[in-house]
Amino acid sequence: MECCISVRVRISQLLILTALTFVAQTSLADVAVVLVTYKDSPIQSISSLDIRKAYLGISVTVDGNTIRALRRRDDERLNQIFLQSVIAMSERSYERRLVSLMLKFGTPRPAEVDDSDELLESLVTIPSSIAYMWKSDAEVDSRVRIIGVLWQET
Amino acid sequence: MIDRRKIASFKHSWSAVFIELLLLATLASSPQARADSQHDMLVFLSLERFEMFSASDPALDGFETRAKSDFLYTYNSDRFRFLAEYNWSTSESHLERIQAAWQIDSKSMLWIGRFHAIAKYWTTEYHHGQFMQTSISRPGVEEWEHDSGPMPSHITGLWLEREFSIKDHSAIDLGLATGLAPKFAGHQLVPFDPLDPESGHDLSVSGRLIYRPDILSTNQFGLTFAYNDIAVVSESSPVLADLNSIRHATLGVFSNWQWKDWRLSTSWTYFDIDMRYRDGDVQDDFVLGYVQGEYEATDNWTIFGRLELGFGEDSSPYLQLLPAFIAHRNMIGVRWDFADSQAVTLEVADASTQGHDSSHDNFKELRIQWSAVFP
Repeated sequence: MECCISVRVRISQLLILTALTFVAQTSLADVAVVLVTYKDSPIQSISSLDIRKAYLGISVTVDGNTIRALRRRDDERLNQIFLQSVIAMSERSYERRLVSLMLKFGTPRPAEVDDSDELLESLVTIPSSIAYMWKSDAEVDSRVRIIGVLWQET
Repeated sequence: MIDRRKIASFKHSWSAVFIELLLLATLASSPQARADSQHDMLVFLSLERFEMFSASDPALDGFETRAKSDFLYTYNSDRFRFLAEYNWSTSESHLERIQAAWQIDSKSMLWIGRFHAIAKYWTTEYHHGQFMQTSISRPGVEEWEHDSGPMPSHITGLWLEREFSIKDHSAIDLGLATGLAPKFAGHQLVPFDPLDPESGHDLSVSGRLIYRPDILSTNQFGLTFAYNDIAVVSESSPVLADLNSIRHATLGVFSNWQWKDWRLSTSWTYFDIDMRYRDGDVQDDFVLGYVQGEYEATDNWTIFGRLELGFGEDSSPYLQLLPAFIAHRNMIGVRWDFADSQAVTLEVADASTQGHDSSHDNFKELRIQWSAVFP
């Protein structure tokens, strides 16, 4: 009898541990930054070089569509992850490159929006626009389509 | 009193002043919102204390406090781009650039208007954005026309810029420009001013070829050339009385390279000058250049130094027409960046101006500056 109870306890512990491991892995996989566009946008894919160029304001054309890059002002962690992982620059270096290109050639800086609502509105209204956002936010909004994963927590 | 920095006269007509005010009003009221990236604006501000000391000539001793502001406005649509830059300081007020571009394709732009001469590396890298250049001073060869710069800085005409991408993420940029060259009047070159247009400007042709090994990096090296037919206003100075025109040709090389915390910028220009006097031509040739090194000691502190020198410039008859030209300068400085877009910089230098003959006027410079860019 005691032996059976002991086995049950062991099995329960194992199941709980397995469930916890699964939950942890799922939440880790969810902490990701993705590149998105409007669900009906003609953009299907974009290279990492073109993403970097678009976010420096350099003209990028994909399948005949001129890309417009959008940034959010209100999420500092998201911006830092994007700049470090994708653009490979510190925020100060990035801002100075934008200023430099504007000073030299009148190159437009990426459009900035205040929050996620404005970002989604801009994605819908500006054709061929792209933006980066948390994967968890992108998955729950039917207006956006994920083009690719830019960064994932490991 | 510092005589090499002459206060520019504000000789604009009322209509020109009106246009300038209108432009400033437009700049001030234009939406800055980067949410609507069609319009964008930058404001560069700086405040500088500048002192000169001379052991040999006390007349050169002096000081000056200078405030500068530079307003940059841009407009972009799918195929059209517009850029205007207005510079105001305690010693001058100019519409610096006003240019419009048609984007031929994603790699080519055709500009028309008044732009900065593409054969000058420093000038086209920093323009009037004082905050963007690490040092306070510019190299003498890169000085503006009204500061006794020996090369034309402003051209009014056409400029074609084309990027040739290479598969390994490198690129070659080709620029070609033609338009109206400056005139020579008094002790300086005088560019064409669209707000106060006058005739008598001759042809300018220039070009540059830049190689960038990484299209997204600032590392680059390149070649420049320029040919300028410079009309001379003979009655503007006794030394110009018999001079009809100046044929001004230059060939240059430049490089900007960054290795981790170190950065090296250098530019060298060969001048071939033909001064056409009534009784015959005077040939002149010399080389001017500089090397600037920078070390980013921490995220906020940068130490820098620059060496400006030349070959054959001491006895140049052309440079003697520009007596306030900074012929030599050895400079060191330190810059502290703070609050993302502001900096305080200190710079000391041993410098000499060209003077009216081969004996230069030597002096020491001390500068301290606050600079910023907004937004």
